Amino acid sequence: MSLLEQVGPGAAPGSGGPAVVARVARASSRRRLRQDLASYLFLSPYLLAFLVFTVVPVGFGIYVSLHKWSEVSGDQGFVGLGNYAALLSGKGYYGSEFFESMANTLIFVVISVPFLWAIPTILAYLVSRAPAKPLWRMLFFYPAVFSATAFSTVWSYLLATNGGSVNTLFHVNVQWLTSLPEAWISLDVATIWATMGFNFIIMYAGVTQVPKSTMEAAELDGAGAWARLRRVVLPQLRPVSVVVVVISTIASFNLFAQSLIMTGGGPGTSTTTISMAIYQEAFNSFNAGTATAMAFLLAIVLAVIALAQYRFALRRS
Amino acid sequence: MATDLSTAPARDEGSPARVASPTIHRRRLRPSKVALVGSLAVVGLVMLFPALWVLTTAFAPRTEQASGAIIPAALSLYNFHFLFSLPANEYPVLRWLENSIGVSAVAAVAVATIDSLAAFALARLNFRGQKVMFYIVISSLMVPFIAILLPLYLEFSKLGLLNTYGALILPYTSNAFGIFLLYQFFRAVPQELQDAAVADGATRFDLWRKIFLPLSLSITVTLALLTFMNVYNDFFWPLVSTSSASMRTITVGIELTTVGQYTTNYTALMALTVFSVIPMLLAFVFAQRRLVEGISFAGITG
Repeated sequence: MSLLEQVGPGAAPGSGGPAVVARVARASSRRRLRQDLASYLFLSPYLLAFLVFTVVPVGFGIYVSLHKWSEVSGDQGFVGLGNYAALLSGKGYYGSEFFESMANTLIFVVISVPFLWAIPTILAYLVSRAPAKPLWRMLFFYPAVFSATAFSTVWSYLLATNGGSVNTLFHVNVQWLTSLPEAWISLDVATIWATMGFNFIIMYAGVTQVPKSTMEAAELDGAGAWARLRRVVLPQLRPVSVVVVVISTIASFNLFAQSLIMTGGGPGTSTTTISMAIYQEAFNSFNAGTATAMAFLLAIVLAVIALAQYRFALRRS
Repeated sequence: MATDLSTAPARDEGSPARVASPTIHRRRLRPSKVALVGSLAVVGLVMLFPALWVLTTAFAPRTEQASGAIIPAALSLYNFHFLFSLPANEYPVLRWLENSIGVSAVAAVAVATIDSLAAFALARLNFRGQKVMFYIVISSLMVPFIAILLPLYLEFSKLGLLNTYGALILPYTSNAFGIFLLYQFFRAVPQELQDAAVADGATRFDLWRKIFLPLSLSITVTLALLTFMNVYNDFFWPLVSTSSASMRTITVGIELTTVGQYTTNYTALMALTVFSVIPMLLAFVFAQRRLVEGISFAGITG
């Protein structure tokens, strides 16, 4: 930008003979180098952190995933793409573990994401037309103060079969955490309760950006509340919706603490997610090679899904 | 996207809307408003109930073990006494909270500083390789943490840094989200301000220190706050990077207690949960508007 022009006026064109031009050019290129280095000083703390805590782990991870590797005894030999092949074959111990935990995670994603988009969207629209906005915002957002382990512990208590609040209140004896499909419902309800507040805040910010006059025009044209939501608000919310859907999808794919605490991955292994499988493979079976390969496959799936969602959104708008 | 949305309403919020507002105000009192508030109230109550149950259970007296009742017979601090009297070598509850607060605070300040410096260079300086640097920062946003969790663990293990505060803090410093947040802010600052300072002999560091950092103080504090929340609530990394009870953070502590021998001691568990939420609650009460603005801004700008 113009900073360079300000700080270093440099060699003005058409001044002096060729020798002078060369000398000025050399001096200015040296000055430019110094200035570039000074600029990089500002970036260097981030670049260093990025190198050591992102680039090196990615590179090292690729290396580990191509080996049989144990956290205890280290490198056990190069296996090429063997770890990946075993996982992607869907057969054998690792293959079925990978496919099953992936399928389990997908169940959760497919249930949670629509709710994590729809509930905040409808609430945001309703709140935008209601009085006492700060009160509603507080009510829908406050569960964000709970960490995943905290709200999972809370819901383990609320949904406990014996002595749990929900069963006590409704005088029923439902096995919320130890049978199917109740376990999935419980994980989804707990997650939606705790995390939809973030999406609500984003969607609400989106709703307030819908021009007032557009809404009033639609109202004068006789559009009811539902029609206005569908025809006026939702199209305007498309960009924000994409952000919310992508964030929610990635967060749901990373489901970990809730399953670990609320269901323990059960009944059986039916709520064992891909993150739990990676954790178990890495820290219970000390099978770092397979665990890293699993994590990279998950990362690829996440990247493809996020790109597809952005693509889809761009094409439709 | 943010620009085309923000220019459109500017025109629409002109006089016609303002003139029309009295009629709209009268319309607000229609019965549909009652239905609207009613349905919001129902959802609000559903949202509120879990926290009420948690509170009444946490403050239940000793004699009243978790019964699932919403209204307790009496209130007491017994469960909190119980928590703090647990063996300190296994359940140092206060230490867990201190660890969490300390680690999150240091990470928040570090991230805010690192990201502010980087965003300033990318947005306001001019140097060779700037575009490349920008794409590097973008690409770093696409690496999900789960992908590097295990290699990072192995790396820290090699460095002999597992089970230290360094392990709990350092990985969070490689997070480019804040760079984007501040980049957008810095781009909007008028060039004249910078040119005038440069004409007065300001160095690059002066520009950051005396102009851009003060101008962006509000959004930088918001970034620090979001980072604090994020680190405070994180679970997977502190779970794997620490091993001794005294180095655990509160989120890991809760998990260990919940799946451990106190798994059905709901009154103690709810007290622990309430205890763990205190710093977040304070942040929420004192900086709710800031948080809301930060999340909105992040969501709207994608």
